Amino acid sequence: MTHWTASMLCALTGLTLALAPAAVDAQARALDGVAIDPDAELVVALADDTNNMDPRIGMGSIRSNYIRQVFESLVDVDSQGKPVPGLALAWKPVGDLAWEFSLRRGVTFHDGEPFNAEVVLFNLDRMFRRNLDRWGIKDVAAGTSFEKVFPFVSRWEKVDDYTVRVHTSEPSATLWDFIGREPLVPRAWTTKHGVEALNERPIGTGPWKLVEWKRKDHMSFERWERYWGNPPLYKRMRFQTIPEAAARIAALRAGQVGLIEAVPPLDADVLKAEPKVQVSTAVQKLVCRLYLNGRPRDKYDSGGKDGLFTDARVRMAFNLAVNKEAIVRKIFNGYARVNASPVASVSFGYAPQEPYAYDPRKAKALLMEAGWKESGGGWIDRNGEPVNVSLLFPAKHYGQAFDEMTTAVVEMIKEIGVPVTVKPVDFGTQLQVLQKGTLAPNGAFTACRTSNALDADDFLRDWTAFTLINWAPYPPELLALFTASRRELDPAKRLKLLADLQRQVRDWAPVVSLYQEVKIYAATARVLRFTPIPELNMDFRGVALRK
Amino acid sequence: MRRFLLRRLLHALFVVWGVVTVVFFLVRLTGDPSAFLVDQTATQAEIAHARHLLGLDRPMWVQYVEFLGSVPRGDFGTSIRDRRPAMRMVLEHFWPATAELALASLVLSTVLAVPLGVVSATHRDRAPDHLSRLGSLFLQSMPSFWLGLMLILLFAVHLGGLLPAYGAGSWRHLVLPAVTLAAAPLAQNVRLVRSGLLEVLQQDYVRTARAKGLGEGLVIYRHALRNAAIPVITVTGLSLGFMLSGAIIIETVFSWPGLGRLVVQAVPARDFPVIQAGVFVFAVIFVALNVLVDLLYTVVDPRVRLP
Repeated sequence: MTHWTASMLCALTGLTLALAPAAVDAQARALDGVAIDPDAELVVALADDTNNMDPRIGMGSIRSNYIRQVFESLVDVDSQGKPVPGLALAWKPVGDLAWEFSLRRGVTFHDGEPFNAEVVLFNLDRMFRRNLDRWGIKDVAAGTSFEKVFPFVSRWEKVDDYTVRVHTSEPSATLWDFIGREPLVPRAWTTKHGVEALNERPIGTGPWKLVEWKRKDHMSFERWERYWGNPPLYKRMRFQTIPEAAARIAALRAGQVGLIEAVPPLDADVLKAEPKVQVSTAVQKLVCRLYLNGRPRDKYDSGGKDGLFTDARVRMAFNLAVNKEAIVRKIFNGYARVNASPVASVSFGYAPQEPYAYDPRKAKALLMEAGWKESGGGWIDRNGEPVNVSLLFPAKHYGQAFDEMTTAVVEMIKEIGVPVTVKPVDFGTQLQVLQKGTLAPNGAFTACRTSNALDADDFLRDWTAFTLINWAPYPPELLALFTASRRELDPAKRLKLLADLQRQVRDWAPVVSLYQEVKIYAATARVLRFTPIPELNMDFRGVALRK
Repeated sequence: MRRFLLRRLLHALFVVWGVVTVVFFLVRLTGDPSAFLVDQTATQAEIAHARHLLGLDRPMWVQYVEFLGSVPRGDFGTSIRDRRPAMRMVLEHFWPATAELALASLVLSTVLAVPLGVVSATHRDRAPDHLSRLGSLFLQSMPSFWLGLMLILLFAVHLGGLLPAYGAGSWRHLVLPAVTLAAAPLAQNVRLVRSGLLEVLQQDYVRTARAKGLGEGLVIYRHALRNAAIPVITVTGLSLGFMLSGAIIIETVFSWPGLGRLVVQAVPARDFPVIQAGVFVFAVIFVALNVLVDLLYTVVDPRVRLP
């Protein structure tokens, strides 16, 4: 990402000026010649409420939508998902073992606390679980344990009131990303009221100030009038929980909400044909995969057996057996993407890869090459045992289309003569199996994975440490290439390493890449300038409501 | 009566203790929620740290003893997902959302059921009876999510937003979910009143009442209905119990912030404290309603005596 830094540092000042409050007047009465209502309220219907508002607890796809309205990060994103200055005006490597963030001045939290280097140091302490006793705050079970995932981050210091330097024990090309994208909380508020207060009454620097939260019902916001950037052009916003998609659509048609998310793919075209509705889409950093047990016997509760899928040729055969284009066309109505790269197509460093061709004949040939033998309509593996894949999938967790997709994948695998036993389970049960390592040697599962980071690194680390979703660990040469990509600070060289790694991972096929999600939104004609972004959240800065 | 109530109270305590104990161990047998709290890219060490922070790495009996010690104080612990007191969350969803929806549905399903059942019974095998039975069959066999969506489409979309499509907070919000929730019990009650009345109307004392020259209304509403009401009271008590413990489908379709969705979402997430607090409240509701139904029997039927 130093790639961005180099080019951005010069341009940042100008860009910052462009985003400054003066650029758009929150009290504007017209936009593109259309009269707008600066005092209006936008009701947005979402499929679920967030469980909590403390960013340290986690930034999943539901939480992010709520949290990022109130809290902000050092690094922001534009409508294309590209990094732009947020609470930091600039970031740059200082030598090989440090990064420096220059902070924005004049930013205040919703309670008036000023944002400065002390706030950033406090947040870094919290992220890396340091000095919690000194601050008098509790530890929380966090989505990402920074101290374990990024152990090479050694210390941080204040250079001046608006400059923070973070030191590492080894070169880290993506520090700006994993630290920069973490939403920041106020220091004084948190130490005074405790971390529970972040959950009950969150105080951030974001464009929206939370004014009411009725759990499982709605969250109401008011525009933060002292917001440093491009403000929303209406006064109030309400995130209304409407779990049922048909009810969300009905509420939109009735004009009782202005915008809805998670429109089912089959409804999108119907809504598009309605003159009073605008449908928009954004490719998401959510990739769905079929994971295959390729772990060696000593890395899971194996009963002495290697995973059935340790041989890359077998995994490749499964990739060739699944017709992903047909899945996207038939099940997702075209609202999904086929992506052969392990990296989401909207991540920095993504390199498009040659798609896995749908070729059942070649898939069978590969299985034979891997030592499998066809026998009586089925297969015998190279150890002489009949093959039967045991596939877990979290029913009703990712939505109806995902469940239908899993069934289609199973049928396609059966087409090459491999029997599959499907075990629909609840998501929690699947997590238990993965956590305990009790996936059967012939086991597989479907799941989706998302990311809060902007860089390809977050996806490419999936096959390093043994985690819930790492069931085919990198061989030494790929691990070495991954490590090199993490440490390479030269932007051009790093991009080349990332592209090379993606190509090799594509050929080594640790998973069957199924699809990348496209999120669908629908809004009434009253909503102006809403642009979905490829992040997990919606961004309402610059959005207006027609009078 | 006092002895009866005392015995039922002790009985209730035993039942509630039994239920919370079974639930305590049962939910833990299905695994723990640590993996929910971390990213999918978390290692075993990260998961173990989350488990430690939740106190789930302690022996189960230690957790149980602590749980039993805190239950009498109404402390069911902190929700694992929401990081808020579990009982507070349950009560916030119970009152007013679940309570007002259940009571509105109860009123609709009983107040309408009595006249409809009476008309059906007194016009046996005639048009009003056929209409009432057909309507009951229709309401009982219709899936509530479908009925709910149809009502939303009709009243919120096609009738120009006559009623809100979602949410809670005013009587207008209450109408559609209450009607949808009341549909099935209403149909059941109409059939119960009808069949009960048909049986009672054959009794000698009804003939005597008529022979005395009492008006038909008086015969039915004062004499016959009281005796036909016992099965309705039993079923209504049970229905109210189910309504008060949350109506997950209605809550989902109408975005009603009630107890059902809270507890149902807590189950797959292994949010032990919320599950335990929710089940505790359900158990108390059912036990209390059972006692209430027993007491009501004595009011409507003087032949019933409490031991």
